Amino acid sequence: MSKLRKFVALGAAALLLVAAGGRAVPSQNKPLDGQKVEVAAVWTGTEQKNFKKVLDAFKKKTGASVTFTSTGDDIAPALEPRIAGGNPPDVAVLPQPGLLRDFAQRGALRPIEDVAGTEVDSNYAPIWRELGSVDGQLYGVWFKSANKSLVWYNTKVFRDAGVQPATDFNQLLQDMKTIADSGVKPLSVGAANGWTLTDVFENVYLAQAGAEKYDQLAKHQIPWTDDSVKQALTTMGQIVQADYLPGGTSKTLQTEFPQSVQNLYASPPKAGVEIEADFVAGVISGDTKAKLGKTAKFFPVPGMSGGPAPVVTGGDVAVLFKDSEGGKELVKFLATPQAAQVWAKAGGYISANKSVSPNAYSNSTFRQIANVLVTSSNVQFDMSDQQPASFGATDGQGEWKIFQDFLRNPSDVDGTAQQLESAAAQAYAGG
Amino acid sequence: MADDGERSTGIEEGSAPAGAPSPPDQAQPAVAVATAGPTVPGRPGAARPAPRERGVGYSPRLALLFLLPALVVLGALVVYPIFYTVGRSLFDRPGSSFVGVDNYREMFELEETRTAIRNNAIWVVAAPTLATSIGLIFAVLAERVRWQTVFKVAVFMPMAISFLAAGVIFRLVYEEEPERGLANAVVASVVDAVRPPGEIEGARPSQTDAARRSDGGYATVQSFRPGQVVGIGLAGITQARIPKGSALARAPTSGGRGALRGVVWLDFTRGGGGQPGVVDATERGLRGVDVEAVRNENVAGTATTKPDGSFRIDGLERGSYRVRLAASNFRQPYGGVEWLGPSLITPAIIGAFLWIWVGFAMIVIGAGLAAIPREVLEAARTDGAGEWQVFRRVTAPLLRPVLLVVLVTLMINVLKIFDLVFVIAPPSVQDDANVVALEMWRVSFGGQLDQGLGSALSVLLFVLVIPAMIFNIRRLRSEER
Amino acid sequence: MTSTTGTAPKAVPRPPRESLARRIGYAVAKGPVHIVLIVVALAWLTPTVGLLVASGRLESDNAQSGWWNALTHTSQLTFQSYRDILDTPEIVNAFWNTVFITVPATLGVVLIGSLAAYAFAWIDFRGRDWAFVGVVALLVVPVQVALIPVADLYGRLGIFGDLSGVVLFHVAFGLPFAVFLLRNFFAGIPRELLEAARIDGASELKVFRTVVLPIGLPAIASLAIFQFLWVWNDLLVGLVFADTSHAPLTVAIRSQLRQFGTNIDVIAPAAFLSMIVPLIVFFAFQRYFVQGLLAGSER
Repeated sequence: MSKLRKFVALGAAALLLVAAGGRAVPSQNKPLDGQKVEVAAVWTGTEQKNFKKVLDAFKKKTGASVTFTSTGDDIAPALEPRIAGGNPPDVAVLPQPGLLRDFAQRGALRPIEDVAGTEVDSNYAPIWRELGSVDGQLYGVWFKSANKSLVWYNTKVFRDAGVQPATDFNQLLQDMKTIADSGVKPLSVGAANGWTLTDVFENVYLAQAGAEKYDQLAKHQIPWTDDSVKQALTTMGQIVQADYLPGGTSKTLQTEFPQSVQNLYASPPKAGVEIEADFVAGVISGDTKAKLGKTAKFFPVPGMSGGPAPVVTGGDVAVLFKDSEGGKELVKFLATPQAAQVWAKAGGYISANKSVSPNAYSNSTFRQIANVLVTSSNVQFDMSDQQPASFGATDGQGEWKIFQDFLRNPSDVDGTAQQLESAAAQAYAGG
Repeated sequence: MADDGERSTGIEEGSAPAGAPSPPDQAQPAVAVATAGPTVPGRPGAARPAPRERGVGYSPRLALLFLLPALVVLGALVVYPIFYTVGRSLFDRPGSSFVGVDNYREMFELEETRTAIRNNAIWVVAAPTLATSIGLIFAVLAERVRWQTVFKVAVFMPMAISFLAAGVIFRLVYEEEPERGLANAVVASVVDAVRPPGEIEGARPSQTDAARRSDGGYATVQSFRPGQVVGIGLAGITQARIPKGSALARAPTSGGRGALRGVVWLDFTRGGGGQPGVVDATERGLRGVDVEAVRNENVAGTATTKPDGSFRIDGLERGSYRVRLAASNFRQPYGGVEWLGPSLITPAIIGAFLWIWVGFAMIVIGAGLAAIPREVLEAARTDGAGEWQVFRRVTAPLLRPVLLVVLVTLMINVLKIFDLVFVIAPPSVQDDANVVALEMWRVSFGGQLDQGLGSALSVLLFVLVIPAMIFNIRRLRSEER
Repeated sequence: MTSTTGTAPKAVPRPPRESLARRIGYAVAKGPVHIVLIVVALAWLTPTVGLLVASGRLESDNAQSGWWNALTHTSQLTFQSYRDILDTPEIVNAFWNTVFITVPATLGVVLIGSLAAYAFAWIDFRGRDWAFVGVVALLVVPVQVALIPVADLYGRLGIFGDLSGVVLFHVAFGLPFAVFLLRNFFAGIPRELLEAARIDGASELKVFRTVVLPIGLPAIASLAIFQFLWVWNDLLVGLVFADTSHAPLTVAIRSQLRQFGTNIDVIAPAAFLSMIVPLIVFFAFQRYFVQGLLAGSER
């Protein structure tokens, strides 16, 4: 019996020590000391590592401890059950505005006007506030952006073909023919991933039809059977013709995005250019032997017939699910240049935040890309990302699938436009 | 069934006669064969003691104690779900309103479901049959060599790895590019050996002065007379692809009598700046190109280009000829089979399935084979029967129960197939490769989250396997007797 | 060729000797069989070898050419991909998750299954045969049927997404087979042994522990091996019931597949690592079940 008593006494003493010890260290003026915040995002691998650096900076500043949950590409199915079950993460970073709208309209998000409104106004161009708002209320901060209007090229191919970065879209078309003559297929596109084709289309459309029409089409205020669309499809058909694709159409439809970049920089190169976003750089440095800035360079997608160069952007928006202190502070932090600068330094990232100092970008390529984004006057958000998910962002459906079909048969402009319109109409009707 | 010989081997007994126990995604019936009971020495044909004779006699309370954990777990996670699912399938997507058979109607109307059911049918017919047949062949062959265990382990090994790893492995095998995919590399090397690709494949005329022919060759649009000089400039291949031994292009200055002279060269100046149709300073000729002079679809003379690209076709009568570049110059290398395309995707996945399951079939059939008494086979052989006849008349009939067990096990597993299809089929062909189990997952946990419809699909899946369940029960009951 | 010494015991009549021609014919016929089998065995091993080699190459090499190129250009081979995934927390985490799912699931099935099997084998009660048939009939129930209900149940219990949910599910679906397998085996235990123990005054539980389990060990071992393999390699159950932090290796790898990259340099080593454990289990114990398979025939 006495053994037992001794044991209990020791145990109690231990507990007391632990309890006392917990209080022993005084909090060092960190406002959120001891608080736990959970943030969810699609990032894995390198992106995750870099985002964690940002979270570390937040922790240093506020003392809160942050858990990061990676959901992989399918963030909606990962969040749905949690929202339904009443325990969402404090903050999530969504890859599409469509999702933002969806969640906001269902009342799952907290408005962040009081939390980060001033930061957004002072640090971002107005279009980013608009993109982060639903029905006039601000819900999201665009923490990470992508510039999708870049023409990546292989300098060796250009040299052999005697071609320079084009400053006019029609010149680019001409250059592609020259590259084809020189023996290299001009265009690399990862058509197995339907969104790569929508990116090409959006660039063509924005350059050709202009910002106003682009906006109308994005909001489905004009139908997809509009003449401007048909014209853009015709132009696009010239770019993606079978003779211009390595391995022809069927191979290209099997090529996924990262593979398309690898094709561009293979030795010997399998293609000459790729019209895609800045995240191509990540694939180049991670998965190819080409060097950024030497063999691998880019130039902005040129404007058409003297019009302004199109800048199609994408991005990830941070939203708030719970009214927690930690969550609010995190969202606010993500709207500041400090947060952006951490990732800018690590690379593979650009921010639409105007207050980010260009020197924060450790990589000159990214510095340039960011510069284009922040200074351009013709910035429009990726159209397919603005659509309802079943039309603009689903494998095997909607835009992604219809453009893949278009690739197989680029001469069928009318049919494609019609299909796009039907699918869009259905999606907007809630189908 | 009173055959002493068979009983004593212990293979028939417990060799999954109850329709091969098969836990959801991997079969373990092979084990059933192994552990058909500890050997009871000296009692080869003894019948199992009648129930009342063994154990502790009638004690339901004790039984309950032993059975309780199993019953609780099974009841909660297997039995109750069956009823829940049937019920849930009668409600709508969020589960709030009763919709009766609407989900079922929708299910059958959806294109995806119809494709899924059709694919499942193909699977059920093809996969088990193929696996069993191949397994049988392997078992029979393996039996004849000393190292049969090594062989069997090699073939059975894929069962130890997950369907996910198998899926990844086969994605590598089925890559369309012959440079990257194993299957197409093999196919392409065979095809290219038989029909070698043309040296200048991919090249085409740099201008419109030559037109493409249906066989893949090119012919000049214009006609020429003997004594004239023909220039055919090609583009579309890189400098690196120029045939070995080619030199700077040189166009002949004049024709010869009764001959057509000309030059075939790469009409693109490296670095740009050249003029199409003109032999620029640094442009190289294309050696070894087969050229023909054609009149009225008849080949009047041929030549092969020299290192500088020049050629001379002699012996031509007066008249006008077109100059043709033979199709053989441009023959494409084999592009590879599109294994993961819409038409071949299901056979491709079945191939992966076979890779995994033939080992299982082989082992079980092999055990059945080993159970056949030597004497019976010897007797047949000494009676003068050839190997094939022995097989047909003696071996096969004796194997029938084992073959049946293997077939049924495989059929059950095939009906439920999910992992392989999920991993191997790229998103663009998921619809074509669809099977009911996959469709159920897509509908319930994919974007739509329609659990009413998903439940209906589960019920469908369940209904499809019920015949096997009945088969199991029947055999088990007959075995008990 | 019978013995010529008259006093030798009568020899057992030997089967008639095959003629020389017959034997040569047989040997010749065997030659092609060997070749065919060798080709088949190599063909069967090649895909796995391909994965192994692919995991030893850099992403940029894998993108350009097939893995067999590394056999001729051995300079391409590197351990870098393995080092990288060991740095990937998701994969390492998933590995441990898999361990923490598989081991309990195996133990659970063995324990609960053998208890139930013993009851079915040796304890008499009304309706026993029907109950047994019922349990075994559950063998064919597809997992899909239970996914939604159990997801709902777990949600209410608050364990949705946790390892325990996954473990329980695997135990449940492994039980029918376990019961079937073990009951047959246990039924063959000689009654005398059980009686002897009972006479010595042991309770049923003790009999179970001291007699049944040790004798049943081969069957239990086989069951454990198969259950282990099945649970370790499972994808669907983990996909549905485990959240991201509790995901097993198969799910973690698969989510890399869908991700933003060809990722063969992640998938190949990860898939290989996920294969190693089952392969080790398989090769370590294959003697036992292959032997078991063959043992029954060598009577």
